[in-house]
Amino acid sequence: MKEKSTVLNWFILVLFRDLILSFKRIATFMIPLVFFLIVITLFPLALGTENSFLSSLSSGVIWVSALLASLLAVESIFNEDFRDGTLDHFLLSGEPTFILVLAKVLAHWLVTGAPLLLACMISALFLFLPEALFIPLLVSLLLGTFLLSLLGALGGALTIGKTAILSAVIVLPLSIPVLILGVAVITNALNGLDFISYIYFLGALVAIGIPGICLATTEALLINYE
Amino acid sequence: MNNFKKIKKWLISLGSPPLFFKLATKILSWLYPISFFVVLIGLTWGIGFAPTDYKQGDVYRIIFIHVPSAILGQSVYLMMAVFGFICLIWRAKLAGMFLRAAAPIGASFTLLALVSGAIWGKPTWGTWWVWDARLTSTLILFFLYAGIIGLYSSVDQKQKGDRLASLISVVGVIIIPIIKKSVDWWQTLHQPSTFSITSAPSMTSDMYLPLLTCVLGFYLLLACILLNRLRAEILARERNTSWVINFLNNK
Repeated sequence: MKEKSTVLNWFILVLFRDLILSFKRIATFMIPLVFFLIVITLFPLALGTENSFLSSLSSGVIWVSALLASLLAVESIFNEDFRDGTLDHFLLSGEPTFILVLAKVLAHWLVTGAPLLLACMISALFLFLPEALFIPLLVSLLLGTFLLSLLGALGGALTIGKTAILSAVIVLPLSIPVLILGVAVITNALNGLDFISYIYFLGALVAIGIPGICLATTEALLINYE
Repeated sequence: MNNFKKIKKWLISLGSPPLFFKLATKILSWLYPISFFVVLIGLTWGIGFAPTDYKQGDVYRIIFIHVPSAILGQSVYLMMAVFGFICLIWRAKLAGMFLRAAAPIGASFTLLALVSGAIWGKPTWGTWWVWDARLTSTLILFFLYAGIIGLYSSVDQKQKGDRLASLISVVGVIIIPIIKKSVDWWQTLHQPSTFSITSAPSMTSDMYLPLLTCVLGFYLLLACILLNRLRAEILARERNTSWVINFLNNK
């Protein structure tokens, strides 16, 4: 007998299931983090270690690394469930797919995006970012990584069962506005200009992206399963 | 009203591959010569007879290839989004085939625009590439094409690949304005625009008319290539049906 569940129950169920699974498998949240830190380390090695030079590049370096780390981590959104057949059951359960996508994106962000924020702060120290810019960096990354998780979910759903690199090729061009706006926040804060408007804009993109990109992701899942 | 219904019926009947194949063959028999003729006229007029630019000299003549291919690169993406929408909503088989036929052409025209722009930039700006807003967004457009081609060619089932590619082109066309706008902001944030394509001296009609002819010719050529690629796609997908076997046997 099928238990009657509300939309919210379903949302919480999927969210907690994903969170528990990824905390049991440490690799899910550790590997993107380590990948991010390794990429950050590559930049001083390649570009030189002069303090002022690195500090002028740091916001861009952090943003590019965060972009790469969160888009290469899309495997954990749908692919693992696809391989072991859980996704089939989710889609057959008759519960709304849109809510499933939303819960999975949120879980993915909590597992990969939120730890990235912490790592970004540490790498901002490594790269000599002026301390006054930490708050703008944090806020821009908070909104930006969530957008990247949304876009990553779309890429993952489109390329289900395939490599993450294909999904990155599809999604990276679409994530350019996020990168530009995110870096603009820090650049403007650095020059003492108004950066709040860019944060508002990122917020607006999140607000459009939650229904819009989740809808496209749902459609992509359904196409893959028809 | 009656006429409208007739047109609608005719349009729907075009979605049938054999009918479309016949029509495309008929159209191509005269469209190919016409398009070659128009392109030839446009290019000879532009390269041979249009006046020399007082500032750039004869170098500017690459405009007769650069501008049409840049326009085509963008409009092919728009067409793909429209047909992608049709493919998603009405599941029209032919719309999906259109996507596959169009994507490589759109990518090639975008690449042609980038390359011809670089060749034009070297003598006039002194550099092959400038991180200008328009150049950058054209490059991003090329990457979008690459993503779409990568996506549908990685899917084995043709229909599924069509629908996935349709989805991403529709999503892309919604995001493109945001990308363009953000690239413009990025431009104003990072560097003052040193070179601007838009501030070129306004053209006289004896430069403008050959350019217009070239654009028209390129569009006709695009139609030819598209129809031809669609024919090939139809033949490949319907190869097990009786009409294709009949058609190939009668050849």
